[in-house]
Amino acid sequence: MTATTSKTTCPYCGVGCGVNFTLPSQVGGAVPPVSGDNSHPANFGRLCVKGSSLAQTIQSNDRLLSPMVEGHAVSWSEAIDTISSKIADVVKTHGPDAFAFYLSGQILTEDYYVANKLAKGFIGTANVDTNSRLCMASAVVGYKRAFGSDTVPCNYEDLELCDLLIMVGSNAAWTHPVLYQRIAAAKQRRPNMKVVVVDPRKTATCDIADLHLAINPGTDAAIFSFLLQHSVQAGILDSDFIADHTNGFKEALNQANESTPNLISTADFCGVSEQEVMILANWWSDTAKTVTFYSQGVNQSSSGVDKCNAIINCHLATGRIGKEGAGPFSITGQPNAMGGREVGGLANQLAAHMDFATPGAQDLVQRFWQAPNMATENGLKAVDLFQAIEEGKVKVVWIMSTNPMVSLPDTAQVRRALEKCELVIVSDCKAHTDTTAMADVLLPATGWSEKDGTVTNSERRISRQRGLLPAPGEAKHDWWAICEVAKTLGFRDAFAFRTPCEIFAEHAALSAFENNGKRDFDIGHFSSINKDEYENLVPVQWPVPKGRPEGTKRMFEDGRFFTPDSRARFIPVTPKKPVNAPTSEWPFVLNTGRVRDQWHTMTRTGDAALLTKHTDQPYVEIHPKDANQLGIEDKTLVRLTSPQGEALLKAKVSRAVSPGNVFTPIHWTQQFANASVVSNLIPSLVDPLSGQPESKHARIKLEAVTNISYGFIMSINPIMDLDCIYWCRIPSDIGYYYEVAWSKGESMSSLQSLLEKGKVSQEGAGEWLEYSHLKTQQIRLAHIEGKKLTSVVYLHNKPEPISTDWLLSKLIDRSLVSEQERMALLVGLPANIEDKGDIVCSCYQVGSKQINKAVAAGATSVEELGMQLKCGTNCGSCLPELKYFLPAITELSA
Amino acid sequence: MLNAMSQAGRIVIVGAGMAGSKLANDLLHKQNAYYSITLIGEEAQVGYNRIMLSSLLAKDISDAEMPLVDTNKMRNEGVDIIAGDPVISMNLEAKELYLRSGQKVPYDQLVLATGSRAKALPIEGASAVNVMGFRTWQDVDVMAGLEGRQPICVIGGGLLGLEAAVGLVKRGHQVTVFHRSNWLLNRQLDEESAQLLQNKLEQMGIVFRLGESPKSFVQSQQGLVTHVVDQNDQQTPASLVVMAAGISPETSLAKAAGLEVQQAILVDSQMKTSHENVFALGECCEFDQQTFGLVAPIWTQINVLIEVLAGNDANFSIEPTPTKLKVSGVNLFSVGKIQPSAEDDCLFFKDVAANHYRKLVVKDGLLVGAILYGNVADGSWYFQLIQNKTNVSDMLDLLVFGEAYCCPQVA
Repeated sequence: MTATTSKTTCPYCGVGCGVNFTLPSQVGGAVPPVSGDNSHPANFGRLCVKGSSLAQTIQSNDRLLSPMVEGHAVSWSEAIDTISSKIADVVKTHGPDAFAFYLSGQILTEDYYVANKLAKGFIGTANVDTNSRLCMASAVVGYKRAFGSDTVPCNYEDLELCDLLIMVGSNAAWTHPVLYQRIAAAKQRRPNMKVVVVDPRKTATCDIADLHLAINPGTDAAIFSFLLQHSVQAGILDSDFIADHTNGFKEALNQANESTPNLISTADFCGVSEQEVMILANWWSDTAKTVTFYSQGVNQSSSGVDKCNAIINCHLATGRIGKEGAGPFSITGQPNAMGGREVGGLANQLAAHMDFATPGAQDLVQRFWQAPNMATENGLKAVDLFQAIEEGKVKVVWIMSTNPMVSLPDTAQVRRALEKCELVIVSDCKAHTDTTAMADVLLPATGWSEKDGTVTNSERRISRQRGLLPAPGEAKHDWWAICEVAKTLGFRDAFAFRTPCEIFAEHAALSAFENNGKRDFDIGHFSSINKDEYENLVPVQWPVPKGRPEGTKRMFEDGRFFTPDSRARFIPVTPKKPVNAPTSEWPFVLNTGRVRDQWHTMTRTGDAALLTKHTDQPYVEIHPKDANQLGIEDKTLVRLTSPQGEALLKAKVSRAVSPGNVFTPIHWTQQFANASVVSNLIPSLVDPLSGQPESKHARIKLEAVTNISYGFIMSINPIMDLDCIYWCRIPSDIGYYYEVAWSKGESMSSLQSLLEKGKVSQEGAGEWLEYSHLKTQQIRLAHIEGKKLTSVVYLHNKPEPISTDWLLSKLIDRSLVSEQERMALLVGLPANIEDKGDIVCSCYQVGSKQINKAVAAGATSVEELGMQLKCGTNCGSCLPELKYFLPAITELSA
Repeated sequence: MLNAMSQAGRIVIVGAGMAGSKLANDLLHKQNAYYSITLIGEEAQVGYNRIMLSSLLAKDISDAEMPLVDTNKMRNEGVDIIAGDPVISMNLEAKELYLRSGQKVPYDQLVLATGSRAKALPIEGASAVNVMGFRTWQDVDVMAGLEGRQPICVIGGGLLGLEAAVGLVKRGHQVTVFHRSNWLLNRQLDEESAQLLQNKLEQMGIVFRLGESPKSFVQSQQGLVTHVVDQNDQQTPASLVVMAAGISPETSLAKAAGLEVQQAILVDSQMKTSHENVFALGECCEFDQQTFGLVAPIWTQINVLIEVLAGNDANFSIEPTPTKLKVSGVNLFSVGKIQPSAEDDCLFFKDVAANHYRKLVVKDGLLVGAILYGNVADGSWYFQLIQNKTNVSDMLDLLVFGEAYCCPQVA
């Protein structure tokens, strides 16, 4: 490792992998590809595709570089004054609750800390919520109800040490790829280790599953309710543990007996076979070392908290907690959702794992902060917050590093709220997002590789994200902007932080303040951390109290919990189905999730062409039976309508979903597609306890969009006024690429005038190459200026698979000479060039046609494919998909 | 073979153009057949390749490259070649022909290959000395003899007219082409490809008057045409007028002899006319309501006739025939049905800047017509697809891009 290489932490999912980052050889140069940090305990050198591509996402031509007020660039001091005077004004007139922060699991713990401190101690409102509300709020409440604290008991090693891993509502293969790789490797080493996937969908994660329970959407709790009562019958209760360390077992068991009286009723409720449930029950009773691994599929539910407690109940009843290879393990989605929780950066938390209701907490925090205006009760959770904004109760909102126009349910409502809000402040590193479009004040933020501070991953491990590149333009750290506003509001002393290290030290000191072991979150060891120590902080799992610098690998090993009586609590759970059952008008159930190579609303991953190769467009997965009935063909456009709104998506006909259910990824925004924002469809129903939206469930109807032609446009310039029914911009290393769909009958001449809007030279006509087969509405056009291809459009009455890499490469080829070469522009390929097919392995750009060819030539294993084509030999995240190319797909047997 | 000899005996071919000369030549070389062959022509030159006249006019080739067959060799091998002495009448009952020279020629089998003549327009002055066709070596000699930069009008923008126009413009003359249709080569091209051709020919210096037919000719006192008058009574000067507005099959002998004639001399699939032992082929014959102006079907007719004369079973049938324009620097290919009906698939490619155009017409999965302009390398492949009636349904999306895409070579 050279002197210019530093260790930092990946900014994507909650795994929190260590990354080696090498500075460019010259200032402003391209950052060399990153690599995994071999010494980081989260990943031991592994990285997924997203992480491996971090360097490619750094240089964006859409950075926000200057503060803006009402569309005009202003100085920071002007922007800070605008914000501060408006906050002061509304607080004076309408009280502190007229202000709110809406933060993000993307910002660093230090950013979170000052925002939380400013709102709850100095402005005097608990209206501090975050997009973590959408991701793990139910898990937090579940833990708190059971343990008296938001404590993740397990660590990643437990995933490798367990003998039974139950993955519930998680497609870790795509969402937490590095953990999935660790699990897959452990299972390969110990073939007796069993993996069970509980998920309505057959996801890539099912690839390593010994059993897949494709349950009815939202019925997870019933499985665990049944496991609880089955544990009694199987005689595997840990009676000593129940007696010595818990309360409420009897009530929880009674409820389980009532809710899931037997195997038949459970299987029926969940929509799976009795045999399948029984296999899981038998494995559960036979396997002491069991980890239940759960994520958004559990949390994003109107009964998400109960689902979490149904899981935790089973672990408490069998004493499978606080032990190696055992425990209920919630995996967070974001890089620093955990850091936000630790700070208390949620509306129903106060600070440092203390709630408003925690006896003495308000006083303690007030004294520590010397706070003049303490908030005294819970603030508004995300969905309620945006409703209060629409109602005019909240008049100033400061949105930081998140995109609620795409991530919150019911986009139409969010739009109404932000339109109505008197001052919308958005801090972001991107100039154009669906949310920056709604802002009155824009603040340019530093991004990953510039931001400097700490994050906490899903196993409570605090790591440094290091500021390595200089901030571009006027971009500033979020903590700095918050402190400047705080100082302008008159809170100079309390926000005089000069470095993130100083903030971290105060955060650590608060965690330890009058703690004495009462609160789980204690990192008192860092209360007086100095700059050098902070610089060299090695990843460590909290608690890290004074005198225990090595941190804490696993929690609850002593059976003591953070309830007043130190006993864990069983919670009686009644399994519920999602609120909105399908009806004859809205006959389909919509499930949402992620694709492998994209992150959230694509503000960062969306810019990397490499990451669009796996899935380049939004889609809706539909069972063949439903597709057939509705006349929907694969890759054709489908209109999804819910009572909230509509979206247009390409059909992906697949048996991965059950009949009556469809699935769509959440990522695409209006920056990338005109009509594919899935949050349009989601009702703002929330879990009553956690406030987390039921984002994985909406009732919808589907219809084929007919009488359209399909195709694409590529151009060296952005295409303005693209007024077709559907477009999706797919980032490309060269030029601009759009998938499009037009109403039938679009003429060649109107397409030509559309493309000519982006003409390079004003004088002199360019040259057109034309192809048509009008009987099938097939039109292809290429525009050449000089000897250079400037734009191409292809349209057809059906979606046609055309590899566009070669065409894209022609956009930078300045010497189109021969007639044959020019003609090839309307074929999409020169004669005799291999068509790779759809890219499966992003790392080595290996396509489906190449893989099929290798299989036809005799390759029988992914290892052989890897040897021949290199596919799957880098990040490995395509390995599940590679298996589907092999001749004998071993069906999961129940 | 004696049998063939006795059946065929004396074969007399009337017309020593391409069809007649090639028939004589090929009969001579037919294995195991022994005929007495007589070839009678009206022109002084016999056995030359008429197709190459335009190249000769354009000075792309020399006289030495004109022969189609080796007449000296044929004479040495016994063919009786009579040049510059046309047949003026025939007695089919007596099986005798009478030449202008007074010579009488008896036959056992008679083959009429009298060809065709430029169609004369019914315009006043059309028979003036400086109004000529473009059919013979003699015509080329006349044109080649013009000195200086003469204004010349060509009537007809078909293949022949354009070839004449190009040849004349290359010889330094000032050429105007009148063409009745709205675009050039309207039987072979569509409007778009014709435009590309027109651009090219205009660059060479030819002036086009499309959608126009001459109304009359202005004649000098000597009887020579001096101007061409158009529908708007505008006059275009002309020291020579070339009539290339179509051809008329030469059927006067046949008619006079009582053979059945419609547009041309009617023949059956064995090239037999209405009279026993009398055959016809080439531009003067009509089969299945069609006449013939391109060489390919005529070569087929020759082969059929040779078999028939030998007593073998052979039948002529009509196949689409590709057309090319013999102008250097202009590549053009046209075959079959070029105007699609509503139910046909029409595949269209155009690259104006590269002068590259393709249009294909597919009917019920079969390629039935093609126009190529500019790059015609795929012409023969398309022609094969048409001839072989290859089902192209599976390659429709790539068809217009040619053989390299549709039939990639296996590495």
